[in-house]
Amino acid sequence: MKTSRMLGLVMIAPAAIIILLFFLMPVILTAVFAMTNMSTATGISAGAYQVTQAAVNRLKTDMPELAAGISEPRFVIDEDGLTQLDALKLKPGFTAELRASHLGEVFLSRREAERMIKSLKERPSTREVKQISDVFNRSVMNTRFEDRAALMESLAKLGFKLSPQDEEKVSRATYTGWIWTADNFRTIANSQDMGQILLNTGFYVAVTLLLFNVGYALLLAVTTHYMPASTASVFRAIWLLPRITPVVIYVLMWKWLTWDNGFISLFMGLFGHPPKNYLLDSAGSAWFFVILINGFIGASMGMLVFSSAIKAIPQTHFYASEVDGANRWQQIRYIILPQLRWPILFVTCYQTLSLLASFNEILLSTRGGPGRSTEVWSLAAYHTALQNYTGNLEYGLGAAMALVLVVVGVILSLIYLRVFRYDTLVTKPLIED
Amino acid sequence: MLLKPEARLSLFGELPMTVFPLLKSAAIAAVLLASTAVFASAKDVTISVWAGGSGPNDNYRVDAIEVAADILEREAAIRGEQLNITVQKTPYSGWEEFKQAITLAAEAKKAPNIVATGHEDIGPWAQSGLIVPIEDYVDLDSWPVSDIYPNLMEISSFNGVVYGIPQDAESRPFFFWKPYMKQIGYTDADLEALPAKVEKGEYTLKNVLEDARKMQDKGLVQAGYGFYPRNSNGPDYWQFYTSFGGVMEEEGKLVFDKAAMKRTYQFFADAVKNGVIKKNHIGMPGDQWWKEVATGKAGIWHGGTWHYARLVNQEGLKDFFDNVQFTLIPAGEGGKANTLTHPVVYLLTAGHTPEETQIAADLVKIASEPRINALHAIKSAHLGISEAETKVDLYAGDRWASEATARLLPHANAMPNNADFGKYWTIMWKNLEASWTGAKTADAAASDAEAELKATLGAAIIIR
Repeated sequence: MKTSRMLGLVMIAPAAIIILLFFLMPVILTAVFAMTNMSTATGISAGAYQVTQAAVNRLKTDMPELAAGISEPRFVIDEDGLTQLDALKLKPGFTAELRASHLGEVFLSRREAERMIKSLKERPSTREVKQISDVFNRSVMNTRFEDRAALMESLAKLGFKLSPQDEEKVSRATYTGWIWTADNFRTIANSQDMGQILLNTGFYVAVTLLLFNVGYALLLAVTTHYMPASTASVFRAIWLLPRITPVVIYVLMWKWLTWDNGFISLFMGLFGHPPKNYLLDSAGSAWFFVILINGFIGASMGMLVFSSAIKAIPQTHFYASEVDGANRWQQIRYIILPQLRWPILFVTCYQTLSLLASFNEILLSTRGGPGRSTEVWSLAAYHTALQNYTGNLEYGLGAAMALVLVVVGVILSLIYLRVFRYDTLVTKPLIED
Repeated sequence: MLLKPEARLSLFGELPMTVFPLLKSAAIAAVLLASTAVFASAKDVTISVWAGGSGPNDNYRVDAIEVAADILEREAAIRGEQLNITVQKTPYSGWEEFKQAITLAAEAKKAPNIVATGHEDIGPWAQSGLIVPIEDYVDLDSWPVSDIYPNLMEISSFNGVVYGIPQDAESRPFFFWKPYMKQIGYTDADLEALPAKVEKGEYTLKNVLEDARKMQDKGLVQAGYGFYPRNSNGPDYWQFYTSFGGVMEEEGKLVFDKAAMKRTYQFFADAVKNGVIKKNHIGMPGDQWWKEVATGKAGIWHGGTWHYARLVNQEGLKDFFDNVQFTLIPAGEGGKANTLTHPVVYLLTAGHTPEETQIAADLVKIASEPRINALHAIKSAHLGISEAETKVDLYAGDRWASEATARLLPHANAMPNNADFGKYWTIMWKNLEASWTGAKTADAAASDAEAELKATLGAAIIIR
């Protein structure tokens, strides 16, 4: 008994590891990212501390004295620096010449200091110039410190004695990396555009699901059920084509159909309509095609599931109903649909989730346009986190948006289970007791 | 391997007779060893360079680095070092894919050595430590860097540190299709005088809409083709904000001028209402846009200096100067005529050895020499980066380059290098698009932009 339980664990281990790595981890990481302000500007790895003009501006209200004191770059040729320079073991001539002719000089910009250093007789290379100017840097302006301690040490050297609270303020104002924050969710909750995108998503999922993924799939399954077997399989094969065509080519064919010099434009031209881009003509026409493009792909899966479910209904039910004088509609209403509750639940649930998460067809066809009228939630998350024209990738906000999608998906699944009375579907048949 | 006893015996037994072949093989071995020693002292370096927004005319963004590598290798050979540089070139035709690729590659510590990208990336990339200051590797006072226009060097800096070397310059003019302008009443002399009138603010964006309307009413162009702006987001749209009196940045702080932004949004909304711009213009296929402006389907449009190369080389518009007049972006209410220069800059990425980065920096420096840079400027119809470049025969002999430089470059602004500018831009564009397509009124769009900017940027932006 014990060994067989062990064996069970061993057998399931690979699947469990894969679930953990590829299903659970992404969700957990998304949640972690969602609680940060990570973006292109903060980077993903830890940040540094840099006193920039912007940081000085941030400090001005709280600590005006410090802000004024650190806002100017300052390079001083002093004994301290010369000692440090010796320790660098560059050419000895540098120190000697600096001590002899430049001791005590003050420069108000790095550029000026470096011009002087460049003019040294031993001609330091560009890298050496940087090393030399660094040891005479008597300011923190525009210097990048890899950790907080280094920044504080430099500030202390400049004569700024900071209390721990002030240190905290300074480090917060100068930190370049990401921080933990719940602002992303606040942004999502308060943004008008997010509301619009949510509405778009609801509209897109509901309409595609009702009209095609379930509705039209059901229609196909039922009509092919009443067709002769060979005709039915030809018909089903045709509806499978959108599913098996590579999506890029499939969408390209729609574009050929709808572009300014596409098939529809040519056809309408025969009736005197000027050519136009039917795909992007208006929000309405864009939605029309987006739903068709997705619906034609989505219908095939429901059709297959429903067809096989109908096949599984014992033929005798249909014979019996015909003996009773039932017509086709009555057969559908009282025999087929009741026995299709489970597959309909499955398809609805599965397709809702896949429509919520998939955006590739929209990305390839309208890119969310015209305007942002066909931008759905998952596409917006992708644009926010990974691809936009300005290159300002906001990983944190995008992850928060993705997390919202996960939550919505889970809630919808729970609602579906309730509506379709999942518990009654899985109770044990009484007959086997 | 074991030798049979006889074989071993014969080997030792015939030792004196094998001395010569042994010596010979030893000699060969020694020569081989010595030659590998030579190869070992030779330095093999692979320098990768990625460039964004590089169409068929922009190959010198990456090719110039290869030309520079050849020169650097020769220089090294003269100094007695053997340097073998392999340049890996990756041009991207678009910007979205490029920026996505580069950002993610850098986060994964797989960034290329050199990147040619828009200067506005310096802010965020410098802050996140993705790039290193080029001034740490290149002496800014040395030629050819010292010769580069100071305002371009300024555009390549962030927080007072020079991060990049300008790779090109450009500016973005308004274009007018001359035959149609004549048919709505302009004489040749009027058209000749148009650039000056635009510059003085006598011909404004209001006139643009009027003339576009006239062209449509006369049936010269179809509805929605009178004014034919860029078909996608781009720095171009900041020019209209400037035309309406807006300012992007002041003393290191971003500025949102609500009234100017509202006038900008209103301009495009009005243009759609008057029927001179198509409501669904944004997002139309780029190829179609190019073909239409090249064949006179559009009356007035705007673009960049580099459009000349594409129109003439790829789109077959051979008699450009007979058909097209170009000017600054006309003024709107409350602003003045302007244009925008959006230099692409060479940047050095972090995460490589100092030696590699030094070589990359040397290559960038050589590639910035006038004659090499002029290859890109003229082939792609961009503008030069230094005074000396305008004197290179190839450049000086090019009518477009010299006219565009004189007419446009003195009036050119640039977008600010600010780590938060990308956020500002995204919000500005989103609302422009919304007012364009009628999803929001110009008023609502400007207010939404204001609200979102306040929420996301807070004190980092001045709102007027």
